[in-house]
Amino acid sequence: MMKLRLCSLHYGVRANIWRRPVSHYCSNSKSIISSSIEVKPKLPLYLRPPSFSTSLSELTKWHKWAKNLASSVGSSFVHLDNGPDSTLLQRELNWLLEDLLEVQHHSQILPLLKSGSNENADVAVALRVPLEDLYCAWRQRIEERRPFQYVVGCEHWRDLVLSVQEGVLIPRPETEIIIDLVEDVALKNNPKLAQGLWADLGTGSGAIAIATAKTLATRAHGRVIATDLSPVAVAVAAFNVQRYGLQDLIEVRKGSWFEPLKDVEGKLAGLLSNPPYIPSGDISGLQAEVGQHEPKLALDGGISGTNDLFHLIDGAASMLRPGGFFAFETNGEKQCKFLVDYIEKNKPDSFCNIKIVPDFAGIQRFVMGFHQ
Amino acid sequence: MPSFILKRVKKGCLPLFQCPRISLCSSKLVPNFPDSNQSSKVLESGLSSVLLNSTKNLSGSISTLANSSRFCSQNLQSLHSNPKIGIFAREFGTQAAVEPCTSDGLTVDGIVGSNWTILEEGEGDWKSHAAAIAQSIQVIKKRLQWKKLMVRLDLLSAELNKSDLWNDPVHASKISREHGSLMGKMKEVKQFEQELLDHIDMIKLAKEENDSELESESMEALLRMRRDSKDKELEALLAGEHDSCSCYIEVQAGAGGTESMDWAAMVMQMYKTWAQRRGYRVTIVDEMPGEIAGIKRATIKVDGEYAFGYAKAEIGVHRLVRISPFDSGKRRHTSFAAVAVIPILGDGSTHVQINESDLRIERFRSGGAGGQHANTTDSAVRIVHIPTGITATCQNERSQHQNKASAMAVVQSRLDQLEMARQAQMNAQHTQSLTEISWGNQIRTYVLHPYRMVKDLRTNYEVSDPDSVLEGDLDGFILSYLSTSLDKDEDEQ
Ligand SMILES: C[S@@+](CC[C@H](N)C(=O)[O-])C[C@H]1O[C@@H](n2cnc3c(N)ncnc32)[C@H](O)[C@@H]1O
Repeated sequence: MMKLRLCSLHYGVRANIWRRPVSHYCSNSKSIISSSIEVKPKLPLYLRPPSFSTSLSELTKWHKWAKNLASSVGSSFVHLDNGPDSTLLQRELNWLLEDLLEVQHHSQILPLLKSGSNENADVAVALRVPLEDLYCAWRQRIEERRPFQYVVGCEHWRDLVLSVQEGVLIPRPETEIIIDLVEDVALKNNPKLAQGLWADLGTGSGAIAIATAKTLATRAHGRVIATDLSPVAVAVAAFNVQRYGLQDLIEVRKGSWFEPLKDVEGKLAGLLSNPPYIPSGDISGLQAEVGQHEPKLALDGGISGTNDLFHLIDGAASMLRPGGFFAFETNGEKQCKFLVDYIEKNKPDSFCNIKIVPDFAGIQRFVMGFHQ
Repeated sequence: MPSFILKRVKKGCLPLFQCPRISLCSSKLVPNFPDSNQSSKVLESGLSSVLLNSTKNLSGSISTLANSSRFCSQNLQSLHSNPKIGIFAREFGTQAAVEPCTSDGLTVDGIVGSNWTILEEGEGDWKSHAAAIAQSIQVIKKRLQWKKLMVRLDLLSAELNKSDLWNDPVHASKISREHGSLMGKMKEVKQFEQELLDHIDMIKLAKEENDSELESESMEALLRMRRDSKDKELEALLAGEHDSCSCYIEVQAGAGGTESMDWAAMVMQMYKTWAQRRGYRVTIVDEMPGEIAGIKRATIKVDGEYAFGYAKAEIGVHRLVRISPFDSGKRRHTSFAAVAVIPILGDGSTHVQINESDLRIERFRSGGAGGQHANTTDSAVRIVHIPTGITATCQNERSQHQNKASAMAVVQSRLDQLEMARQAQMNAQHTQSLTEISWGNQIRTYVLHPYRMVKDLRTNYEVSDPDSVLEGDLDGFILSYLSTSLDKDEDEQ
């Protein structure tokens, strides 16, 4: 088990980021992340200084090219593997522009670009990366199916903007509901839980941990431990925690599931996790953005997909304090039922108020309950 | 009314005043008004000082009739020997039982009744200024629906004087808020009126005593009032309860496929530029693109003071006639787009309480296993309010949470609007039915072929340059609609 001292990480990381040569923005998306001890989180596009300049006409040229590339996709990716269609890609292109340009220039430049007019062609525009890199970045998005969120280095999730990069799972919209469960079920039923210690296991970008810490902070003085086995995830989560100034409330620990939590056994007020749950056999058929770019460690849940979920259920009873809350994300109805059956058969006295909760697409997605 | 509103209105309207095209087009309008008396009044006082120039010869009929009416009786007059106090002495005094007047009994209506010649600002004597100001005051009162306002104020005062009022604090604060706001409007007009009469007294006094300094000071003051009065007229167009709110503008394509969807997109674009030019913040909440071109439906949020007050003039069906760019046969096509406008009530207002269990929240486009299987930047959600069937979607935010929050805000505003309409019906008060736009409710036609023209079917206001209108030059249409609709209201009283 390894504890990261967040403060020292912060300064180290920051210094490195700012010195990082910009061409890394367009680095090979398929580079394999080494498991070296010090992982340097990448600075997302929207946080980079706007230190590159181009003319409006050059930018317009790029924009037209990028738009054409996006429309050439049509719905071919949809048919191929349920990937994005060109409408979605156009929207992503708009977001890319938003991240690329300084906020105070959005209202002037974005309409000009979209109208494609040739007025003010030689006006200089400040960019956060060189124009050449944009060509390369958009080609990666379309031709290599590199996820948009890796291209811009961030994902908007709930009211957060989280840094993400290769090696870290891009948090999903479905997972946002876990925070609603914390607020609307756990803390509503038992407000005292807000003062306790919570854990987010397999934290990835830190999404669940950060949103939980923020909601606890509005009520009481609860704290969160976020863990992950992946060194990239640990570094990125720590970076995001730092960005939201939550280093006093969230501790990021590296290690496998409960292993880094031995010191808090039986003390947890809440246990949250979105563990890998895709059955191994499904991995090869995944949408290109996922299967070819996101880390297997974050997706593969063993033959039935439930290896980690069962491991978490098994540990939950001993980790949670009486009245403590748990919520896990699953692959869908089948896994939810499995888990609930398992709990009812093997641990009838450990948990109560077990419930299955659907996501907004109507898929049974979450299992939650309270420790007796 | 606070002066910042005045400033904003003034600033916002400047482009209109300065736009020579509008003034030209507008002067052509005069014959289109069904009632020429009314039309000259509307144009003269309602639209702008530029219009004033172009129409003054129509309306400036010279009359030598002496002021023969409406002298205040002596005993009332003595009440006002000090004009600065008096009128508002009663606690919840509302009804203007006593009309303010000058020391020799001249009232605002009296001034208008004497038909003094109104000359341009630079010319003329005090009577010209006084007549212009008095006329403005009448327009302002009309627009504020003065008689209704007084009745309403009396009603509210009676409520406020009840001893058990605060047993229901929500109701009480609503009543006292409305009372305060109406009272403010009423006082402002009264003060303006009084100011006019004071200056007239001053000028008469100065003349009697040959005090040229006092005379020119008072003339200056009258001139200032005359200019202010134009802004106050505009301000009075936007005196509705929710006029100062931000709003949503929704556009939906009518039947006719790509043709209409393209038209709907043009209409939406028109509002976006209109709003941006006015300095409002525009955000796209929801946009459903057509398969080939245009939009099926879209919602934008327009943030800023009086966005609703102006935009509400656009509610209804907009019709386009043109040679279709999508028709290889180059035939003429007619397309329709419906526009709805929903106010976003401020924090001070009472919102309809929404029951969580009445909501169904759906991922707008789903399919597949979701979760870790899928990486999509599409996090659109649709919210259905089950009891009313109201739905809202938002897909333009970058997170599902934000999409949900935006869609929720739309649902809230729609429910508030529904409730407003319901209450308005109960009080049998005037309200526009904002909820369902019927395709029969055409308000404006845009013709690109065989001739070029945009004409409002409600006011007959028209311009011959559709491009400028489609580029957001809508103020002429909006202001003429607002002024005619308010004038109509008062007549119906
Ligand atoms: C599906 S991702 C979830 C990430 C993040 N919580 C989210 O919802 O976006 C699963 C995470 O579990 C981590 N993980 C996989 N095996 C683990 C293990 N044995 N111990 C701890 N974390 C593990 C992965 O690195 C990955 O970050």
